[in-house]
Amino acid sequence: MATKLVTEKLSAWFGKKQVLKDVSIAFEERQVTALVGPSGCGKSTFIRCLNRMHELNPGARVDGKVFLDGLDIYGMDPMEVRRKIGMVFQKPNPFPNMSISDNVVAGIRLSGDARKSDLDEIVERTLKSVGLYDEVKEDLKRSGASLSGGQQQRLCIARALAMQPEVILMDEPTSSLDPASTSRIEELIRKLKSEITVIIITHNVGQAARISDKTAFLYLGELIEYNDTKAFFESPKSPITERYITGRFG
Amino acid sequence: MRLISRRSKEKLIIAALVALTGAAVIPLLWIVASIVWNGVSVMSIEFLTSLPAPFGSTGGGIGNAIVGTLIINLFASGLGIPLGILTGIYLSEYAYDSKMGSAVRTVVESLSGVPSIVIGLFAFTLIVLTFRHYTGIAATLALGIMMIPLVAKATEESMRVVSNDLREAGMALGIPKYNITTRIVLSMAKGGVISGALLAFARISGETAPLLFTALFSFYWPTGINQPIATLQVLIYNYAISGFADWVAKAWGASLLLVLVVIAINVAVRTLGRKKYGGA
Ligand SMILES: Nc1ncnc2c1ncn2[C@@H]1O[C@H](COP(=O)(O)OP(=O)(O)OP(=O)(O)O)[C@@H](O)[C@H]1O
Ligand SMILES: [Mg+2]
Repeated sequence: MATKLVTEKLSAWFGKKQVLKDVSIAFEERQVTALVGPSGCGKSTFIRCLNRMHELNPGARVDGKVFLDGLDIYGMDPMEVRRKIGMVFQKPNPFPNMSISDNVVAGIRLSGDARKSDLDEIVERTLKSVGLYDEVKEDLKRSGASLSGGQQQRLCIARALAMQPEVILMDEPTSSLDPASTSRIEELIRKLKSEITVIIITHNVGQAARISDKTAFLYLGELIEYNDTKAFFESPKSPITERYITGRFG
Repeated sequence: MRLISRRSKEKLIIAALVALTGAAVIPLLWIVASIVWNGVSVMSIEFLTSLPAPFGSTGGGIGNAIVGTLIINLFASGLGIPLGILTGIYLSEYAYDSKMGSAVRTVVESLSGVPSIVIGLFAFTLIVLTFRHYTGIAATLALGIMMIPLVAKATEESMRVVSNDLREAGMALGIPKYNITTRIVLSMAKGGVISGALLAFARISGETAPLLFTALFSFYWPTGINQPIATLQVLIYNYAISGFADWVAKAWGASLLLVLVVIAINVAVRTLGRKKYGGA
């Protein structure tokens, strides 16, 4: 199995405060990797370093290297990086000023590389791939904000997928959703990995076990353990990991 | 015993509030009523469309002043609204918490506090003295400058309330910042921006001081912007103090027109606001 995304001694700061310490990890291509760890351990900061969003915070700094297919993303155009490495946020955030279909192609339209001809086809194909098409095909012109929370989140996933990213980063994408919406999205994630590399943060250890191939455990900004999900949960190497997965803290 | 006294205390407070609100509203209604009462009698097609009659003779109208106010307001809007929007965008999206941003914000806020006659004086010195004649250009400059802080503030405030999550969503899609700013944030804020622009338009429609020594007045139709131009505001001022009964009546008529325009704009802004916040 090939590696897709590799970090080498990745460190990150907010001002003087270091929140990531020398994280080195290799993500496998077309696999789902779950990122777990107690609140505040640096999970969000970590994945925001992977698409160069962390550096947008005032006073933020990144050190170390991130390679996508062997190329250092910190030597690339950040816009280009973000088109190749998509992101889905904890809170669904469709553009309320745009219709459902405009939301799907917002990235294509507004990032300037519009292959305008086949936008309708992209809308349909992408909404189908996230299982939303049948629910909304009658009113594609309705505002994206008029959907339910779970539908909005699938719309946001569609919006990210429409850019045809090679990697997709998800920051607790189901934590604000009901169980039914959550399981739909979990199902979607399992399906996605036939085409893309998925890195997902979750607070739900059960979810990590259900959907991921590999699991990484971050603690106080450091990578404590990274293993096949089955082994990670059945025989954790570190006592801190064991404490975490048995729910004895955070 | 205590309960009753507390209740009557509350009644007293409510009565006082009603009385004070009345005291604030009555003069307003009085003004509007007297403008309508005095102004409505001169309203006619001729009044709205013809040139003023010479001093001493009756008849004629305020057509040139209506056109003049419109021309100057439109040119001023052409200057003040774009500059105001650009300033607001800069303050909200590009310099929100930078030193440069707070410097610009201070300048803009001070500008909105400068008395309009001082801005008029500036336009007078810069343009009227240079051209050596009164001109609508100077009036446009003065009123346009007055619009900038109003529009900038409305733009900045309505862009700031757009959730940062949407900017992040845009960045994460690799959308360039100028497109996030215009196609997402500004697009969501446009109700507030339009309201701000309309209110700024209403505001300059009432400004008189900066016009007195810039556009001055004219008894003829305007044929361009670089000439003395009649405006409703200066016409009201001139006619009201003329002591000539027919002109005084026309001043009331012009006031009625101006007040109607300002009220119409305010109603439009409120409806716009309701549409924005009332759901759907
Ligand atoms: N904008 C910020 N400015 C300063 N410090 C921040 C900022 N955002 C996060 N931090 C700090 O950085 C550390 C890591 O935060 P991060 O959001 O990456 O944690 P997390 O693992 O995603 O937590 P959670 O599970 O609660 O989402 C925390 O200590 C947090 O307080
Ligand atoms: Mg987080």
